[in-house]
Amino acid sequence: MRTTKFLQLLLSGTLIISVLTACGGPPQNNPLLTEAEQAYNKAENDSLVVLKAPVALKEAEENLEKSQEIWQNKGDKELVEHYAYLAKQKTAIATETAKMNAAQDQVERAEAERKEVLLVARKAEAEAAERKAQQAIQELESVKAEAKDAQKRAEEMAGRINELEANQTERGLVLTLSDVLFDFNSADLKAGSRRVVDELTSFLNEYPNRRIQIEGHTDSIGSEEYNKQLSLRRANAVKEALVSNGISTSKINTVALGEEYPVASNINEAGRQQNRRVEIIVSDENGEISQRK
Amino acid sequence: MKQSATIVLLALLFGACSSTKPPTQKLTQTEASIRQAEQVGAEEYAPLEIREARKKLEQSKDLVEDEKYEEAKRTADQAMVNAELAQIKSLSAKAQKAVYELKQSIQALQDEIQKNINSNQ
Repeated sequence: MRTTKFLQLLLSGTLIISVLTACGGPPQNNPLLTEAEQAYNKAENDSLVVLKAPVALKEAEENLEKSQEIWQNKGDKELVEHYAYLAKQKTAIATETAKMNAAQDQVERAEAERKEVLLVARKAEAEAAERKAQQAIQELESVKAEAKDAQKRAEEMAGRINELEANQTERGLVLTLSDVLFDFNSADLKAGSRRVVDELTSFLNEYPNRRIQIEGHTDSIGSEEYNKQLSLRRANAVKEALVSNGISTSKINTVALGEEYPVASNINEAGRQQNRRVEIIVSDENGEISQRK
Repeated sequence: MKQSATIVLLALLFGACSSTKPPTQKLTQTEASIRQAEQVGAEEYAPLEIREARKKLEQSKDLVEDEKYEEAKRTADQAMVNAELAQIKSLSAKAQKAVYELKQSIQALQDEIQKNINSNQ
C-alpha cells in the first residue's frame, strides 16, 4: 500500500517535471536580438546620443521592443530577427547622427574661433602698423635734426672761414698767408703766423674729411731754381707747424710753384710783396682738392 | 446574407494579416534613399552600408517577382535602413573632416600670426 502511494507520487512528480521542461524551460537567446539589445543599451547610455539623436534612438527602441515582444510571444523567428536587425541599424544611425551633430557644433565653434583669431591678427597688424608709423615719424625727426645739425655745422664752418680770412674761390676755399708772415729770404714763420696755423689746426680737427694743399709762391727776384726751393721751404714750414700741432701729414700736400703764378706785377715792390705768399687750398667734403689748370 | 458577411470578415482579416500587393512605394522610396546616399559620397564614406542597401533592394525586387510581398516589404525596409545609415555615415564623416580641416587652418593661422608678431618685434 505504502509502496503504491510512493510510486504514484514519484510518477506524478516526473510527469510535472517533464511537462514543465517541455513547455517553458529557459528560452534560448536569439543572437541577433541580443546583439541589437547590447548595441541599443550602449547607445542609450551614451549621453551624446541621447542628447543629439533622440529621434533615431526612439526609432531603434521601437523596433527593439517589437522584436522583444514577438520573441516573448514565441512568434515568427524571422520577424524577431527582422526587427532586431532594424533596431541594430537604427541604433547605428542614432550613433552616427549624434557624431555628425556634434561635429557640426564643433564646426560652428571652430568658425567662431577662426573669426576671433583673425580679429586678434588684425589688431596685431594694426598695432604693428602704428609702431611702424611711429618709427617713421621718429626717423623723420632724426633726419630733420641731422639736417639742422648739418646746417649749423655749415654756419659754424662759414664762421671759421671768416676767422681764417679765407676766400671762397673757384678752387674752393683758399687761404693766403702773405709775405709779411715770413722774414725776407727766410722760411721761418713769424710769430704773427702762429694764430693762423692754430686756426687752421682747429679747423682741420673739426672737419676731419677736409684735406689741404699748401702752395708756396715767390716773386721773380732771384733764379727760378732758387725761388722754387724757397717756395718749397715756406710751404714745408707751414706744414711742419701744422704737423707739430698734431695734424696728420697724410692730410697735407705741399707744392712748390716758385715764381710761376704771380698775383700781381713784379715791377714794383708792392706787387712783388703780393707775389711772395703761401696759399692754402682746402679740399671739399670728400677730400678732393681742385688743382691749378 | 450571413454567409457573405463571413466572407467579408475573412477578406478583411486576410488583408490585415498579409500583403497581397507588391510594396511598390516602399521600393521607390528605398531607391531614392540610395541615390541620396550616393550623392553625399556613400561610396567613399560608407561602402559596406551602401552595398548592403543595394543588395537588399535587389533581393526585395526578386521577392516581388516571386510574389512574396510580405518578405519583399521587410527586405525593402532593411535596404532602406542601410541606405539611411550610409547617408548619415557619409554626412558624419564629412562633418568630422570639416572640423579637422578648420582646426588645421586655425593652427596655421595662429602660427602665421605668431611669426608676424615675432618678425615685427
